[in-house]
Amino acid sequence: MAELRKNNEAAVDAPPNVTAVETVDASTTQEAVAAIEAPVERGEPILQVRNLVKHFPLTQGILFKKQVGAVKAVDGISFDLYQGETLGIVGESGCGKSTVAKLLMTLETATAGEVFFKGQDITKLSGRALKAVRRNIQMVFQDPYTSLNPRMTVGDIIGEPYDIHPEVAPKGDRRRKVQELLDVVGLNPEYINRYPHQFSGGQRQRIGIARGLALQPEIIICDEPVSALDVSVQAQVINLMEKLQDEFNLSYLFIAHDLSIVRHISDRVGVMYLGKMAEIGTDTQIYDHPTHPYTQALLSAVPVPDPDAREGRERIILTGDVPSPANPPSGCRFRTRCWKAQDKCAEEMPLLAVPERFKSSDTPAAHESACHFAEEKDVVHAA
Amino acid sequence: MTAATPAPLLEVRDLHVEFRTRDGIAKAVNGVNYRVAEGETLAVLGESGSGKSVTAQAVMGILDMPPGRITGGEIVFQGRDLLQLREDERQKVRGREMAMIFQDALSALNPVLSVGEQLGEMFVVHRGMSRKDAKNKAVELMDRVRIPAARERVGQFPHQFSGGMRQRIMIAMALALEPSLIIADEPTTALDVTVQAQVMDLLAELRRELDMGLILITHDLGVVADVADKIAVMYAGRIVESAPVHDIYKAPAHPYTKGLLESIPRLDQKGQELYAIKGLPPNLVRIPPGCAFHPRCPLARDVCRTDVPPLYDVPDGRGSACHFWQEALHG
Repeated sequence: MAELRKNNEAAVDAPPNVTAVETVDASTTQEAVAAIEAPVERGEPILQVRNLVKHFPLTQGILFKKQVGAVKAVDGISFDLYQGETLGIVGESGCGKSTVAKLLMTLETATAGEVFFKGQDITKLSGRALKAVRRNIQMVFQDPYTSLNPRMTVGDIIGEPYDIHPEVAPKGDRRRKVQELLDVVGLNPEYINRYPHQFSGGQRQRIGIARGLALQPEIIICDEPVSALDVSVQAQVINLMEKLQDEFNLSYLFIAHDLSIVRHISDRVGVMYLGKMAEIGTDTQIYDHPTHPYTQALLSAVPVPDPDAREGRERIILTGDVPSPANPPSGCRFRTRCWKAQDKCAEEMPLLAVPERFKSSDTPAAHESACHFAEEKDVVHAA
Repeated sequence: MTAATPAPLLEVRDLHVEFRTRDGIAKAVNGVNYRVAEGETLAVLGESGSGKSVTAQAVMGILDMPPGRITGGEIVFQGRDLLQLREDERQKVRGREMAMIFQDALSALNPVLSVGEQLGEMFVVHRGMSRKDAKNKAVELMDRVRIPAARERVGQFPHQFSGGMRQRIMIAMALALEPSLIIADEPTTALDVTVQAQVMDLLAELRRELDMGLILITHDLGVVADVADKIAVMYAGRIVESAPVHDIYKAPAHPYTKGLLESIPRLDQKGQELYAIKGLPPNLVRIPPGCAFHPRCPLARDVCRTDVPPLYDVPDGRGSACHFWQEALHG
């Protein structure tokens, strides 16, 4: 399938170690766990998502519920996350980026598609193997005010993951481990007995990050980790996250709507629109050489804190709102707001692939873009 | 300040507001001065707790009192001190002469009344129109803020509109009586970037058309750059820097502004490690003595810990509340 093609330096056509991982029965659980615990080389894919779909049913009737439709929150997306990199996912509200996070965390069950963690399909795992995967994929949430239990001390919050995965820290050792974690995220280890309300927003987010690190995961999924914070505190948290990534060799999936922050932290960026991936590539490819009209519109709409740079920039103002994911447009989902839309766009869904015209050249425009009329356009830099 | 300014539309002089809280008296606004001329856009920039919204609420006369209390200052609007007016006189100013656009349109609109009724209410209350005329006026307003199919949608309820459309209704409501001053408190913060651009453009265009004064309250340095004429940066209830919009981005004269500008990543280039202002914004119950920013400031010296800096005059009609503004500006 075309989606499986990656556009990286080490381009590989077929999915590598994503060979058949059928049902995992008792005899192979050992092997599954072993595969999950095995280390992955830097730059190798650690998480591979293939045609992931999540539809939320819309029902009618009280006694006899009848499905009348579905909200197509995520509708067939594929991407790879490499060991040690940060993959940014951007998109407007309702595009399905948070649903992707929940699917990868196995907090939601996928309607279809696969998620391979080191070659194991986590949508089909259960029991010990699933538990091992979950230890390795942790999450940092958006709102540091509601994601910490106000009745638990900081020590209990950060140490709670050890109750479920006691093998990571033996009982007597936990307090020391928690204090170490507090130190790592830049909080005073003496604060272990305090409650969340005694901390500011930025400090709470550090607590949330410490909890995410507790089980020594390999992947951290960050869902809008700094959008609730003040500007002067955002930078502190972003710097901390970058430091931790180097220190613990983490892979981040960084979900956010702030395009500037995503550019700053990401190695590669995927742009989502209405449950589909519109464009994906390295940060330079996406920001300096976008080929999908939606990416171009999104980038041109970002207010730049520099009145001089702004004057030379072209601004594309989209009309209308994002259509409902319960009833997405036929063909290309962006066509209702796109200035390039033609009949072909309504009839044929564009696949996420390197556009034919850029395929043979090695310009930065040669990256995956789901548009029939992909064309390079720099909207970020002043003319 | 600029010398040849005409009589300002609004002038806030040495405003002080405090709140009684469980932990003690929180000093939210500590001597704010600003002025807005007719047809001018002033952006008030600050982080949460800087006092930017409280100042606006005091101007609008919608401050929660108690626990809030205006302890000093004047708010001169069209030549009259609003703080001296009786509540019924104040009521006549509000809506007719100045109006406010709130951040969260969904909670600012009444969910059980149709948008037509809410828009029309302005005309019924302030102009004594009949319900039928008011409804026609409502349709006109919805057209004006470019809500498609206004006549069909006038009977719909707030939840039937998207976020961007709801914010347009808020704008329509503020414009209804053609006030001379609009205060917009984070009008686009809750919106997606593509919709944010639409709404900001609409607001700027209508402001030009009606020649209104606009106070734009925001924490987003990017939004401000696009529309404001001048900027006032607030920190811990004071204005720490004020300047025309171009100057502030090119050469900030206060270390706080400078830190803010350096701490935001750029869209058009990949930066190195972000500059981060150390520490946290102060607790308003215990504002540090001297300059409130000194515990976080790279330029801080002894004098900053004891003396509150006044708003020093900086060339080209700017102001900076920093003892060492020259260093901040040139260093």
